[in-house]
Amino acid sequence: MKMNVWQQLVRCWRADAFSPRGFLLRALVIAGAFLAVHLAGLRDYTSVLNGTIGPAADWRTSSFLGIAYLVIYLAFVIVAPVLVLAAGILTVWQRWQNRKL
Amino acid sequence: MNFPGTTTILKGFENPMKHAKRILTGSVALVLAAAIWLPCLHLFFSRPASAFYAKEGLSPKARELGARQMQIWTDPQLREKELDRMRASNAEWDFMARSYLVWALANMGLRDPSSKPVCLQTMDRIIDETLHLEHEKGMYFFLMPYAKARPYLVQPARSLFLDGEIALMLASRRVLEDKPEYKAALTERVNLMVNGLRHNPHMALESYPDECWTFDHVVALTAIRMSDYLDGSDHTILIRDWVAMARKKLVHPESGLLVSSYETDGTPMIGPEGSSLWMVAYCLQLVDEDFARDQYERARHELGGSALGFSYAREWPDSWKGPADIDSGPIIPVLDISTGSSGMAFIGATAFGDDAFLASLNAMLDFAGFPSRKNGALKYCASNQVGDAVLFYAATLGPVWQKVKEGRKL
Repeated sequence: MKMNVWQQLVRCWRADAFSPRGFLLRALVIAGAFLAVHLAGLRDYTSVLNGTIGPAADWRTSSFLGIAYLVIYLAFVIVAPVLVLAAGILTVWQRWQNRKL
Repeated sequence: MNFPGTTTILKGFENPMKHAKRILTGSVALVLAAAIWLPCLHLFFSRPASAFYAKEGLSPKARELGARQMQIWTDPQLREKELDRMRASNAEWDFMARSYLVWALANMGLRDPSSKPVCLQTMDRIIDETLHLEHEKGMYFFLMPYAKARPYLVQPARSLFLDGEIALMLASRRVLEDKPEYKAALTERVNLMVNGLRHNPHMALESYPDECWTFDHVVALTAIRMSDYLDGSDHTILIRDWVAMARKKLVHPESGLLVSSYETDGTPMIGPEGSSLWMVAYCLQLVDEDFARDQYERARHELGGSALGFSYAREWPDSWKGPADIDSGPIIPVLDISTGSSGMAFIGATAFGDDAFLASLNAMLDFAGFPSRKNGALKYCASNQVGDAVLFYAATLGPVWQKVKEGRKL
């Protein structure tokens, strides 16, 4: 049975989260989310961090968008690379284990 | 013998074990990966201190920050937008953004003579508009609303916050290139401040009703010192007396740091705060070098912090805690990082030649300040115009102080 890209992604997502593929997929999702919020110009809303309202007129929207950008950015620079490295470490470990067997 | 369902039960027993093993190995891989990545993260943001601050000429970052600040004063729409956003939170920021930019431009003009004409033009524009607004709308236009909550003790009401910073703007402009029209304006402010300091037994002048700020006093003393350099007056005794009073009455006993604010009778209100102290130490350089160095080293020890190759500054020492406010900015828990104090720490680090601290503060800034570059202009999205003006000042400071210290007239 042939699967389209979406079906393949869903299948990967449902696969074991603690596998190299699971880690890589989650890193990709984080990178995609960061790309989206960055291109959407949400970086400007991080001014809420110093108490200055963002480009949106109201505080609630500015705060939500600013904090969303911050969380996704931190996930991109901290969590995503850790996931990629972990995928590499796990792959090496599994290959070594398979060779032993 | 096979009982019905045994295989299924064994398989069911086996699978959770395998699953648990996968989770365990996956978790170990994640921990290992984090142990590799986190200590390396700062390497992607680290630059030498010279990328932020050059001993001579302008650093790349100073040029980019300067370009953005100039843009704000040449594009009326951009300026209105930035000022509106800042004034919605704090009218003081509008005023301080002007002050820091004028002070920075004086240094920039001395560092890069080719930029002097445009620096002078921009400085004059800012000074004239600020004086006009103060005259037209009154001093409360640049103060926070609580300034009107009760009357000033000394009448007619004046705010040292405005007088000191405006005097330093005028003096900085005149150090870069003298302008006769500003001489009278500077002398008037200096005389007001000097008379006020002499008439109070504690040498305390209000910035807000019965609220005096160490920050504003050292800025005022710096302006007075520069006026001596420019116009040949001599306020050495007044300055010496203020420093003696501060050492005696304004030092927080536990930390040895200067308190931030006090009442007109000298009673401390708010203890040492990073958002004030780094600038206080820097201004003291022009007034009392030993005291300045002492305050910087104490601030560095009590407020400076570092984690994973990134540096930051706390707002309060361990021995004194205050509430987070508009000056401290939000406090990031666990490490107690203050955005306000961390930004001002750049001034201390550059002024006292603390290159290691400066380089790692700069790494933190590029990691968590969200830089945005466009056509050679740099702004930090997590900052605002006053924050960026402070950074611009930190990246250029030095030549004006040096000139005054050496006593070289134009």
